[in-house]
Amino acid sequence: MRAYKPKDNVQAKAYYTDRFFVSPQVAKFSPESDEVFAQDLEAIKSKFEVLDAYIQVGQMVVYIKPEDNFRVLKLMKKELTYTQLTEMSAIDWIAQRGGFEVFYQMLSMDKRKRIRIKMFIKKGEAVNSVEKLFRSADWSEREMFDMFGIEANGHPFMKRILMPYDWQGHPLLKTYPLQGDEFAAWYEVDKIYGKEARDAIGPELRDPAKVDRYDSERFARLGHEVPKGTKITGNEPKVVQNYQEDGGVFMIKKFDKKDSVVIDDPQR
Amino acid sequence: MAQHKVNYTQNGGLPVALTSIDKIVNWGRSNSIWALTYGLACCGIEMMASGASRYDFDRFGTIFRASPRQADVMIVAGTLTKKHAEFIKRLYDQMTEPKWVISMGSCANTGGMFNTYATVQGVDRIIPVDLYLPGCAPRPETLQYGVMLLQKKIRANHASRAQKAKRLM
Amino acid sequence: MQVKNRLNPFFENISFDRVDNEMILNFGPQHPSAHGQLRLMLHLQQEMIVKAHPDIGYLHRGMEKMAENMIYNEFMPTTDRMDYIASSSNNYGFALAVERLIGLEVPRRAKVIRMMLLEINRVMSHLFWLATTALDIGAMTVFLFAFREREYLMDIIEGYCGARLTHSAIRIGGVPLDIQDSFISQLRTFLDKLPANIKDYEDLLDTNRIWLMRMEEVGTISKEMAISWGCTGPMLRASGVAWDLRKEEPYELYDEVEFRVPFSDKGDNFARYRIYMEEMRESAKILYQTIEMYEKCVRDGQTELMAHSPKYISASKLDIMTQNYSLMQHFVLVTQGMRPPVGEVYVATESPKGELGFYINSQGGPYPYRLKLRAPSFWHTGILTDLLPGHYIPDVVSIIGTTNIVFGEVDR
Repeated sequence: MRAYKPKDNVQAKAYYTDRFFVSPQVAKFSPESDEVFAQDLEAIKSKFEVLDAYIQVGQMVVYIKPEDNFRVLKLMKKELTYTQLTEMSAIDWIAQRGGFEVFYQMLSMDKRKRIRIKMFIKKGEAVNSVEKLFRSADWSEREMFDMFGIEANGHPFMKRILMPYDWQGHPLLKTYPLQGDEFAAWYEVDKIYGKEARDAIGPELRDPAKVDRYDSERFARLGHEVPKGTKITGNEPKVVQNYQEDGGVFMIKKFDKKDSVVIDDPQR
Repeated sequence: MAQHKVNYTQNGGLPVALTSIDKIVNWGRSNSIWALTYGLACCGIEMMASGASRYDFDRFGTIFRASPRQADVMIVAGTLTKKHAEFIKRLYDQMTEPKWVISMGSCANTGGMFNTYATVQGVDRIIPVDLYLPGCAPRPETLQYGVMLLQKKIRANHASRAQKAKRLM
Repeated sequence: MQVKNRLNPFFENISFDRVDNEMILNFGPQHPSAHGQLRLMLHLQQEMIVKAHPDIGYLHRGMEKMAENMIYNEFMPTTDRMDYIASSSNNYGFALAVERLIGLEVPRRAKVIRMMLLEINRVMSHLFWLATTALDIGAMTVFLFAFREREYLMDIIEGYCGARLTHSAIRIGGVPLDIQDSFISQLRTFLDKLPANIKDYEDLLDTNRIWLMRMEEVGTISKEMAISWGCTGPMLRASGVAWDLRKEEPYELYDEVEFRVPFSDKGDNFARYRIYMEEMRESAKILYQTIEMYEKCVRDGQTELMAHSPKYISASKLDIMTQNYSLMQHFVLVTQGMRPPVGEVYVATESPKGELGFYINSQGGPYPYRLKLRAPSFWHTGILTDLLPGHYIPDVVSIIGTTNIVFGEVDR
């Protein structure tokens, strides 16, 4: 029987989990436990709907509705002095909840506080671009589009940024395998030599532990090298590789160890 | 009449040498291997270090050139990604014959630790490679030893005969 | 003889067939002064750049995807290859993020060693920056000088962890080894020489007319622009914001050492150059203090190098070899990996380039559910979009130089 492999998540899985294992939670604190965060949360709550809010590892996490994101970030920038959008990206929850979680990591240099704004969007939905507020979102949103396929409405240049423009698939989706799909495997060969060269060049060797000692095309036994393509018998003579021919080289003085000075102290 | 200080009949007879065309051409080629600055990633830093003050690549006659048209050897130093693969082919084609390729570091050899969707699994899928240097990243000594081996390889050539162009397929 | 292939002739380099007298110039991705694989499409009117379009991704190796398929300790060597000029700072950023996630406290001696490594890496990185930027501007001597000093530091690091470039010198929960016997004496020798060396570079550059013309009033970033683009590190400090995470959100023992945060209001290339030079001096100051702290640790008999937490961290080698339970724990931690609690964490550290952040979302499994690498250089490359227009072609190289971008980090 073939081992069952879930199609919606092809990432590495723990191969053994104790059935009684309950993983602990990172402690969450109420936002009231911190004065600054409590005030900020009040300011957001007074104008927008906040789905959830807590403090985790010293940073406040606020869940908002996806349609509010531009206005919440505007409020935070203009009134709450969260002037820098440090980071933004998404998390793929398609298999569990049918969508993505988009997070904005904000930094206030005046208050020395960080807040993470999170929102949940359904698969296929777009987010509002915050590029008008933070220029850094220009590239972040492009990266998010590249990696997850989430488009940002109102972005001036919504194109791939890390992968080539003609790439297919969004690499950070959980359905995308680490070593790429069929398109990725032949991308460079197809582009440079054409599909007809696939046979001549051959598939990628993806197993890093593979060593075939009878293959002289791809491997060489150290100290027993043979010309490429020779049939390996197993008793190849020992080859000593010197950087120079034995008899010396035309017009080049041979290095003489006796006449040279060896300096041991690297700090001289 | 001026007395010559050099005895042309002894000491190898410099500055006059009697030799074959093969030898003199190979001597020239192997001692002025100009490399293309092709630092792609971490290995590029070690390539720079081997060109810098401590390791001093110039004593091998290896000078880094920024143009493929002036370069003899392409040192592919670093990870080649699928997005970049097209350009390595273009640059290789722009180099003049005879040309050699050193694949420096695990990433260039086989993809190395980056066994992912974005990495070309070895530059020898795109261009023919003469020398593979192991290491992640190889030390400058490795690169210099590699260049010395390449010199040996060049000296083994028959320069006067027509060369068969290296082909991948 | 050219091998036949399907690549079309490449005429994007220079295009004249525009009606509006605009020329498009392609810069990179293989350009000696692009500091890696940066590609710039520059729209020019005569020599003036009117529009710049940086294209990145030529070194995208899929590190975030790799992280989702690796146990936490396995990912450590991959972080080396992000900012490969100063790899220990990446190791440290990741280790700290995981430590905050599982709530570990690292022994004091390990903290001191980590700080030493971090500051050595900062000096190494800044020396490398100086070397390459000076080379781009044409000052070959400074390149050779700075590389000479960098090699001394590399020797020290090599003696510690065995690698010159990709260190993996920091583990989650501490450091694997104590520093070697010659570490302190070699470091002292280097630090005693460093001020004279920095003075050498400054003598060569500070009053050099060419250097000043290429640097002063070129590439000016305003405060608002720097903050809006998410600039951090020297890029932000050169624009008038004295923001250094070592001071503002102290980690390790940075609140115990004394150092200044150099900053400037000018925001041009020259301001950034001055900040890099001053930061090297400050790092040297920190290093002197860490040496004293280390010697105090030795006197106090603090020998612990790894945090004690059997659930997450393997025991010491001695325990693994002699005690059954430690061996079992080690086996599980190596084959299955540690399982941090469910939750998420964003931890930022001050790497030589700026704010290096790791966002980890853990779902209780041995693999991170999502790991986002916040690399400073990504935004320092992005700012070129707004920074380059209005400058001339020769300024491009000096501006790219002073942004100090490293492409392992930009593309990840």
